[in-house]
Amino acid sequence: MYHLRLLFPYIYRYRHRMIAGLLVAAFGAAVSALSPLVLRLAVDSLADGTIEPHRLLWFGDALIGLAVIDGGMKFVQRMLIAVTSYRIENDLRADLFDRLLSFDQMFYQQNYTGDLMARLTNDLSAVRQFLGPGLNGAATAVLTFLAATVLMMLVDPLLALIVVLLLPMVTIVFVAIGGRMRQAFHRVQNQFGVLSTRAQENFAGIRTVKAFAQEEAEIAVFTADNERYRKLNLHYVLLSGTLWPAMTLCLGLITALILLVGGQQVAAGTLTIGELVQFNAYLALLAFPMIILGWMVNLFQQATASLERLNDILRYQPMISSPSTPRLPPGYGSIEFRKVGVRANHSDQWLLRDLSFQVPAGKVLAVVGATGAGKTTLVNLLGRVRDPDEGQVLIDGIDVRELELAALRRMIGYVPQESFLFSMPLRENIGFGVATVDPARLDHVIEMSRLSNDLDQFPDGIDTMVGERGVTLSGGQKQRVAIARALIRDPRILILDDALSSVDTHTAAQILAGLRAEMNGRTTIIIAQRIATVRDADQIIVLDDGQIVERGSHQELLARNGRYAAMYRRELLAAELEREE
Amino acid sequence: MVHHANDDTILGKAYDGRLVRRLAKYVMPYWRQFSVAILLLIGAILSDLLPPLLLQRAIDGPIRAGAVDGVWPYFVAFVSTLLINFVFRYSHSYFINSVGQQVMKDLRVAIFRHVQYLSLSFFNRNPVGRLITRITNDVDALNEFLTQGVVMIVADLLTLVGIIVVMFVLNWRLALISLATLPVLVLIVSIYQRFMRATYRLVRQRLARINAFLSEQISGILVTQLFNAEERSRMAFARLSDDYMQANIRSVLIFAIFIPSVNLLAAIGTAALLWGGGNGVLAGWASLGMLVAFIQYLERAFQPIRNLAERYTVLQSAMASAERIFAVLDTEAEVRDPVHPRSLPTPVRGEIELRNVVFGYHPNEPVLRGINLHIPAGQSVAIVGATGAGKSSLVGLLARFYDVQEGSITLDGIDIRELKQAELRRHIAAVPQDPVCFSGTIASNIRLHNDAISDEQVRAAAEMVGAHRFIERLPGGYNHEVRERGANLSIGQRQLLAFARVIAFNPEVLLILDEATSSVDTETEALIQTALTRLMRGRTSIIIAHRLSTIRHVDRIVVLHKGRVVEDGTHDELLARRGYYYRLYQLQFAGMTG
Ligand SMILES: Nc1ncnc2c1ncn2[C@@H]1O[C@H](COP(=O)(O)OP(=O)(O)OP(=O)(O)O)[C@@H](O)[C@H]1O
Ligand SMILES: Nc1ncnc2c1ncn2[C@@H]1O[C@H](COP(=O)(O)OP(=O)(O)OP(=O)(O)O)[C@@H](O)[C@H]1O
Ligand SMILES: [Mg+2]
Ligand SMILES: [Mg+2]
Repeated sequence: MYHLRLLFPYIYRYRHRMIAGLLVAAFGAAVSALSPLVLRLAVDSLADGTIEPHRLLWFGDALIGLAVIDGGMKFVQRMLIAVTSYRIENDLRADLFDRLLSFDQMFYQQNYTGDLMARLTNDLSAVRQFLGPGLNGAATAVLTFLAATVLMMLVDPLLALIVVLLLPMVTIVFVAIGGRMRQAFHRVQNQFGVLSTRAQENFAGIRTVKAFAQEEAEIAVFTADNERYRKLNLHYVLLSGTLWPAMTLCLGLITALILLVGGQQVAAGTLTIGELVQFNAYLALLAFPMIILGWMVNLFQQATASLERLNDILRYQPMISSPSTPRLPPGYGSIEFRKVGVRANHSDQWLLRDLSFQVPAGKVLAVVGATGAGKTTLVNLLGRVRDPDEGQVLIDGIDVRELELAALRRMIGYVPQESFLFSMPLRENIGFGVATVDPARLDHVIEMSRLSNDLDQFPDGIDTMVGERGVTLSGGQKQRVAIARALIRDPRILILDDALSSVDTHTAAQILAGLRAEMNGRTTIIIAQRIATVRDADQIIVLDDGQIVERGSHQELLARNGRYAAMYRRELLAAELEREE
Repeated sequence: MVHHANDDTILGKAYDGRLVRRLAKYVMPYWRQFSVAILLLIGAILSDLLPPLLLQRAIDGPIRAGAVDGVWPYFVAFVSTLLINFVFRYSHSYFINSVGQQVMKDLRVAIFRHVQYLSLSFFNRNPVGRLITRITNDVDALNEFLTQGVVMIVADLLTLVGIIVVMFVLNWRLALISLATLPVLVLIVSIYQRFMRATYRLVRQRLARINAFLSEQISGILVTQLFNAEERSRMAFARLSDDYMQANIRSVLIFAIFIPSVNLLAAIGTAALLWGGGNGVLAGWASLGMLVAFIQYLERAFQPIRNLAERYTVLQSAMASAERIFAVLDTEAEVRDPVHPRSLPTPVRGEIELRNVVFGYHPNEPVLRGINLHIPAGQSVAIVGATGAGKSSLVGLLARFYDVQEGSITLDGIDIRELKQAELRRHIAAVPQDPVCFSGTIASNIRLHNDAISDEQVRAAAEMVGAHRFIERLPGGYNHEVRERGANLSIGQRQLLAFARVIAFNPEVLLILDEATSSVDTETEALIQTALTRLMRGRTSIIIAHRLSTIRHVDRIVVLHKGRVVEDGTHDELLARRGYYYRLYQLQFAGMTG
């Protein structure tokens, strides 16, 4: 129930249409309750044998007239309520996506992609069904029921009571079976999630599956999951399979009762045949609305369950957001870390600890360190991919948490360790972070990232479509597109997270030389595993287990004869060894 | 921003005999249950025809005659009919759904199995999201078709025919009057279908676009955020969502016109009955009970036709789904097992020869342009070269991810196209350039689904590549939970896991490492080297690396440039040649010592 409140603002936005829709529905219900009356009058006059043949036409005309009015009302009602439900769905979807765009990585680590997509499609559609067909049907059902009850009471209270008391049984049957169906459905959905996640990961990692000839093992696992899914699903469809027969049975039994009681009354002369026919007609008229009412109860329950899942998104407070009174960065690009500490999510394990250093504007900082030492975690603090648990990260002397988020990120050109590309043409991938692509600038960054060497290999040059996640490019090409994408923004701060790892030394050297040449005061942070990439930095820090163990220039660190020197020697040793061989 | 080039195309067809015949093959194994289901359905339909008739008999009999107790037998008959009908309907649902679920399962497994053996080029063309749709939504649509579509349409038609027959038997004049509106109804339904078809196609297409967009956006959200592209994504999404809404509103409009028109027609039919039939009652060629029964039959005759409109959508979507599923099943793997596979001579030695190998991902755009390379058994070879030179493509050919366009590759003298892929890959282990992690645990990432690999072997493999150290410190150790795509591990850690995987699988002869340690620090790498030297002993190995320290132990170095082998020899030979390798070497080391 609580989650329903989430819908109020959206419904309120369209309240005029909704109210008008309900009014029209009420009028329509009253009109449609009249046609059995016409039928009764016709049958009774025929039973008497008193009617003149041409008068029969009147009854026919009356029936058609009522159908025309009723049809008009139903049309208007659908156009008001159903269309509004689609508009609300649309508004909600836009708002949900908007929220998703603002969420931090923590959120995305806790939620599977497939699950989030299901929320923005299936769950949303469940809510819409409740608002559209659900409300529409319920309004019609209740109002028709009321109108018909009044008219039936006027004819014969006993028969009317049979109908009015027994008919809601149909709804109850629906709700009772529906409740069990929902539980079964829940299990089916979960297993479905397992199944599609399994397929998703398999397809995404097919290269690995093939390389290890694991196809049969994968098929076996998938088949087992599938069998479980089949069993659960069968349980569900068998439950739902009782629904219609059971309801038809209920309705039939009521009709039989009316036939018995009403028929006896007619035989005894206390009821006319026309009235019996009228009751039968009401049963036919009300059968569908009663079913809808039961369905509505289920829709309601599904919608609340779905709303709860949507509410998870709408109420999630992103840990990273722009402050309420943001400051604008002066834009020089100096960086300072003050006693920064970062913990692994919800644990007391430190990923970074007591980290302090400064990078003056325009200088180059290199970070080296073992696998898992925390290098990526460190640079992620700058663009606020996450915030530190302790200490401060400052840009131009201001804590990044006080800066306007968009302005902060606009200062930064980030080349992530894992190059994610979108399935759009190369040109758009490169221009991803700028509003308009200046052709001269585009050519320049293509040259800088040395993509110019590769363009002639692509079928459509710069307009070549890139496959999902960049699968149709070589490893180094992907990385260089990511570099070009960062450079085209002409950022004050450039972050290269192991951004040349898949690029050959030769090309890497050219790229670095190009960067240095046009560095013109750009603050740069380079993470790398190769000495050649970091040796010219103004300052190098060596990270181990989340802490700085050494810092200084290349020469200073060599002189210290510590870890950096060891790393240097390892590479050198490799060279020497090779030379001796 | 959004590209529609590869949209799932949806045809509007509602029936395609060819597709239905192919589907029938999947139902065949269950034909007994299926036939029982159909028989039960026919029983249900026949028992459905009785109630109005009973009503007529009751009215024209005891009720009009004033016999109060005479109504009872009719009541009893009425109730019995209902109970029989219930039993028929329920058992029908039981049988048809059991068949449906079985068929779905069979189909899913068939698709999954088929896809498993498709070539990588297929996966380059088809986004993962689309393949998932084949296995999930499309299969569901076929189930609907089986349990709701065909069967129910047959049932509807039978009901209609049944009612018409009963009507004519009872009173042919009333029957003619009742059915007068039927042709108009058929016309309305066919107009409705024409409009609905186009709209339905639009709705589906636009939903597919929303899905594709969402899937990619969620995966790449960090890039969107860091590059301030939120506004652009928002606008693109709003446009997609709006298009979808417009299509839906169109379908509401069509529906809002259709339903009242059918109802109006039903009212006209009833009016005609009242007038014509009423005259009949007055003239004596029809009884009052008969008239009432006909009014009920007319109502029942309209129902199947109303249903038809909805069934039509089910059919349409089923045909579209069947078409797409069969398109996948008809895709032949480009890399195929030979009809009469040869087997490798035992013991397998691991001698590799590439003769004049030409290969490209697009026709006429060769990536490898005539490679000749002979690697004797047990040799270790490093492949170096500029990015995009074709190194990964070359080793992809060795594992037969793709087939050569010209020339040949032989293993121990046998063309690898003459071997079964499974056999070839049992002897080869390759660490691909982009290591993949799966959701699960650390251990399951190393052994995949191969239960033959024991916990000890998993651990030994991790120790060998130096991953044990970090794994131990994770909460839960080897049972530490790994998230989708390994999101909670550092890149280097993911590479180590992929490396451990190869060790655990213990390839017999051939080892291929494609930038397997590019993001691993040199200290860990030095550790791995020891393991690697042991592993390389007696095995042919091919190592691709940009860092020269990674390849310091190899016997031989091959330089690839724009798809050609330009240098080939030992370290010293290549240095002496003062070519590409020499420059590479200078770049990495000369500056360091100087
Ligand atoms: N799946 C694919 N579809 C189309 N083209 C591809 C595909 N994979 C690679 N290419 C193209 O083939 C060429 C060679 O790529 P390959 O991956 O073999 O290079 P590489 O030598 O491994 O480079 P790197 O060192 O950057 O990994 C590149 O121009 C690349 O764009
Ligand atoms: N999202 C996460 N949740 C929990 N732990 C994480 C997460 N991301 C990384 N870690 C852990 O934090 C540690 C530091 O990771 P980080 O990615 O910063 O390493 P790195 O220095 O960049 O390593 P590499 O050189 O391999 O990229 C690792 O032990 C890793 O397992
Ligand atoms: Mg990292
Ligand atoms: Mg490569």
